[in-house]
Amino acid sequence: MEAVMTGLFVGVLFGFVLQRGRFCMNSAFRDAILLQDNILLKTVFAALLVEMVGFAIMDSVGAIAINPKPFWWGANLLGSFVFGIGMVLAGGCASGITYRFGEGMVGAITAVLGLATAGYFTAAGFLKPFKANLQEVTTIPGADGTALTLHGLLGMDYTVLAIIIVLIALLVWFLISRAKKEECEADPGWGWLNTGILIGIVGILAFPLSAAAGRNYPLGITAGWINVVQVIFTGATFNWIGLLIVGIVIGALIAALISKEFKFRFPKPLVLLQTFIGGLLMGFGAVTSGGCNIGHLLSGIPQLSLGSILAGISIVLGAWATSYVMFVLPQKKGE
Amino acid sequence: MTDVKPTKTLDVCGKICPYPDMNTMTTLKKMEKGEILEVLLDYPLSVERIPRNLKKQGHKLISTEQLDGPNHRMLIEAHGLK
Repeated sequence: MEAVMTGLFVGVLFGFVLQRGRFCMNSAFRDAILLQDNILLKTVFAALLVEMVGFAIMDSVGAIAINPKPFWWGANLLGSFVFGIGMVLAGGCASGITYRFGEGMVGAITAVLGLATAGYFTAAGFLKPFKANLQEVTTIPGADGTALTLHGLLGMDYTVLAIIIVLIALLVWFLISRAKKEECEADPGWGWLNTGILIGIVGILAFPLSAAAGRNYPLGITAGWINVVQVIFTGATFNWIGLLIVGIVIGALIAALISKEFKFRFPKPLVLLQTFIGGLLMGFGAVTSGGCNIGHLLSGIPQLSLGSILAGISIVLGAWATSYVMFVLPQKKGE
Repeated sequence: MTDVKPTKTLDVCGKICPYPDMNTMTTLKKMEKGEILEVLLDYPLSVERIPRNLKKQGHKLISTEQLDGPNHRMLIEAHGLK
C-alpha cells in the first residue's frame, strides 16, 4: 500500500468521529457567547490536551519530529481574523463544513466550494503575492531560524513543557469543576469527553502516518481541499491531506447513513450565497495565516507554535465579533 | 404525545447552524406562559443542543419525537417571559 493511502484511512475515522461527536469549532466558540453553552468548547480543550500528551511522548521517543508552524504575526492576525468571520457566515469551521458535506447539508457544500476556490487562489493564484509578502515582512523567527515556539522562547525541552502544561490544565480543570459542582447533565450522543479524546487520538495517529507519506504534520483541512481542486482541474495526483479530505467526507457519510441522519438540506438561495462568501473568507484567511482551525488550533497549538497560538486567538476574536453583530445585537434590538 | 395541542408551529428544517436554535428561542420569548411551541427540525446538532439550553431560559421540553431519519418534532412549553 502506498504511504499516501493512510490519509484516506485516517480521514474516514476523523469524519466518523466528527459527525457522531458533532465536533465543530465554530459552534464551540460562538455558542460560548451566544447560548452560554460550553460543551463543544470543553471537547476542543480535551482534544488539545490528549494531542499534547501524544505528541510529547512520540517526539521524545523519536516516533515523530514536531514541526511547528512559523510565527508571522501580521499574516496570523489578519488571516485568522478573516477566517473567524468567514466561519460564522459559513455556519461551520473548516472541519465542520467538511463533515456536514458528508451529511448532505447543501449550505456546507457551497461553503466548501468557497473555501477551496479562495484557498486555491491564495495558495497558487492571484492572491499569492499578497499572502507571501505579508508572511515575509511580519515573520519573527526563533533561535537559529526555526519557528518561534513557547518552549523555544522559554529555552525548555518541548516534551517537558508540554507535559507541564497538560498537568497544570488538568489541575485547573479539576478545581473549576469542583468549585462549580457541575451537575453532570445528560449529554446526548457520545458525550463531550469521549468525543474530545477520540479527536485527540485521530490527531495523534495522523502525525506519524502523514510524516511517512512525506508530509511532516498532523491533521489539516484547507490544504486538502486545495489538493482536491488541483486533482480535478490541473491533473495533479492526490497527496496525503487530499485523501484525508476525501476520507472525512466518506466517514461522515457512513456515520450519517448508519444513524439515519443523511438528508439533503437546502437552505434559501440567499443563505447559500452567505455560506459561499463565508467559505471564500475562510479559504483566503486560512492560507494567508498558514492554517485553518485544524492546522493551527488542533494541530499547531499542541506543538506550542506561537504562530498557531496567535492564530487560534485571532480565529476566536473574529468569530466572536461576527457572532455579536449577526446574532447578539439583533436579539438585543428585539427586546 | 398527541394529546398536547401546540399553540404554534415553527418549521426550521433546512436551516443552517445556529438558526434552528436562535429561531426557537426568539419564538419562545414572544409566547405566553404555558403556550406550547411545536418545532420541526432536521439538524442533528440542534436536536441535542436545544433541550440543553431550554432549561436556562426556564422553558420546558415536553417531548422530542424522531419522525424519520434526521427529522424531529419537538414540543416545548413556554416559560412566558413577557
